[in-house]
Amino acid sequence: MAVFFQSLISGILIGGVYALIGIGLTIIFGVMRVINFAHGDLLMVGMYLTYFLFRLLHIDPFVSIIVTIPLMFLYGAFLQKFFINRVLDALPQNQILLTIGLGLVMSNTVMLAFTSDYRILTTAYSSSSLRLLGLSISVPLLISFTITLVITAVLYWFLYRTDTGQAIRATAQDRSAAQLMGINVKRMSIIAFGLGAALAGTAGALISPTYYIYPQVGSVFTLKAFVITVLGGMGSIVGATLGGVLIGVVESVGGVYVGSGWKDVVVFIVFLLVLLFKPSGLLGTSKD
Amino acid sequence: MRSFMHNMRGASVFPILLTVAGATALFLLPNFVESTYALHIMILIFISVIMGTGWNILGGYTGQYSVGHAAYFGIGAYTTLILMQYHQVAPWYGVWAGVVVAVAIALVVGSICFRLRGPYFVLASIAVAEIFRVTALNLRLTNGAEGILITDIPPFKIGNAVVTDFMSKVPFYYIGLVILIFAIIVTWMVQNSKLGYYFQAIREDQDAAHSLGINLTTYKNAALAISVVFTSMAGSLYGLYVGFIDPSTVLALDLSVHIVMICIIGGIGTIWGPAIGAVILVPFSEALRSNMIAQALIDSGIISENSRIGAFLKDQLSHAHVLIYGILLVIVILYMPDGILGFARKLLAKRRKEAA
Repeated sequence: MAVFFQSLISGILIGGVYALIGIGLTIIFGVMRVINFAHGDLLMVGMYLTYFLFRLLHIDPFVSIIVTIPLMFLYGAFLQKFFINRVLDALPQNQILLTIGLGLVMSNTVMLAFTSDYRILTTAYSSSSLRLLGLSISVPLLISFTITLVITAVLYWFLYRTDTGQAIRATAQDRSAAQLMGINVKRMSIIAFGLGAALAGTAGALISPTYYIYPQVGSVFTLKAFVITVLGGMGSIVGATLGGVLIGVVESVGGVYVGSGWKDVVVFIVFLLVLLFKPSGLLGTSKD
Repeated sequence: MRSFMHNMRGASVFPILLTVAGATALFLLPNFVESTYALHIMILIFISVIMGTGWNILGGYTGQYSVGHAAYFGIGAYTTLILMQYHQVAPWYGVWAGVVVAVAIALVVGSICFRLRGPYFVLASIAVAEIFRVTALNLRLTNGAEGILITDIPPFKIGNAVVTDFMSKVPFYYIGLVILIFAIIVTWMVQNSKLGYYFQAIREDQDAAHSLGINLTTYKNAALAISVVFTSMAGSLYGLYVGFIDPSTVLALDLSVHIVMICIIGGIGTIWGPAIGAVILVPFSEALRSNMIAQALIDSGIISENSRIGAFLKDQLSHAHVLIYGILLVIVILYMPDGILGFARKLLAKRRKEAA
């Protein structure tokens, strides 16, 4: 039983970071109906930013998100303004291919600049852990989970309480109606992609002390982000939050009971089943 | 003269003559080309054209964008190589076994996934391919992450006469060429048949096609089956030619993307699109991979080998050959969404209009 609780708790802790990745993807999809296949690569860029801030300027990875968030936001806004914006009316498959292309450019540029070596960001607390009720809790995961909670709370406040946030949600609900109500949907799209990129980058920063950093790391997380958002219902922010935690737990518990090699198969089968039987997501109501 | 060019049911003879001439030239090529490297590139191009042409039937003509075709490439490769390496089944039977297994699996997958549309279908196709990749990574049958290394291919005999012993690249060249021509002919037949019209109707508007009595799942599955025949053959050929397969090469998401890219860059839903895409992509990425471009820059004196940039390019450029894919993909989607072939046609039409 201790093993179960141990894997449950690590699942929830990593699930917080997954939630950030999922929320970013879901906001982008909600506002623009574009599935961002470069999402994991944005996360990878965030990881490298954090890594170099740490190595060159000795900024703690958890403190560095103060720098990472605005930088990634600007980067996302740039991508939206100059690339994604041009294919908003194109076929969905062309949008997908464009983001795949952007992702390839990102990962290969990073590889060209910094080689494909695996890098590890080691802090003083990287491998330390707390003992609580007989369970050991990894310190970096605990800190990152706490930060995730704060960011998610701020995000909810922004999206549900501020004018801009509500305008973003209105655009997500019905783009043309929002435009008729005088909302600048182009600006909302830029903000949405910026937010998505910032969240992915933050997730990258938060996992960098506990994960290998290499140029191709993105594809793992892109796939995870899809699973999370589909699970929660594409476009649903609450759904993505819960989906993230759920996938964290499924992976962690599945890794213990099915074996780490097969856990991804479990995740993908769950994903296919949800796609087939409840495409609106576990929480979603059917709406087209 | 003009009427002669346009007799056969409105189809002009000229392109057919050109095709036959091209095919003949390709058949004669190994007699004149000594360089094994050139043959190597040609074989890689053939494999890419075969898998692109296969994908094109499903993605280009039927509009079902599968980004999981690596699954069928891998299934073909694994079936053929496992049969040959561990069960002594000769590859020219193994290829067909691969096709049968791949099509059977594809039909099961298709019956499940074709209920989904647009982006959801894309996601499902990726998930399916990932399931196969992780499965191959964990099964003993596929030898996990180590992959399968073939020791030698039995000589191909008819009666007692040895046709080829697969010692050089030439037999692979001809096998690739024959499959390629077969794939192009099938595409041509599909394009000009009732079946092809059904496919294109589904691509243009599923609901309208459905209301006209086209059974969507049946015809999508038909397109998938034709498509998978060639994808699987390309996989088998690749496995036999390279002699080594593992999940991260023949079942990877990158490969699925590569297959789609060949078609997008050339022009999807056209007979020659995948061929053009492959002819552009493959040599370019091989040149980068084998460091030819960095070497050429240094040799031509543009960049000195001893300068920092020169040394850096020489070390790194070969690792980043996929970068060129990314850049091409972005450019094509933004500026030529119909691919190079569509772009060229548009230019031609424009020029004709101006001339008229």
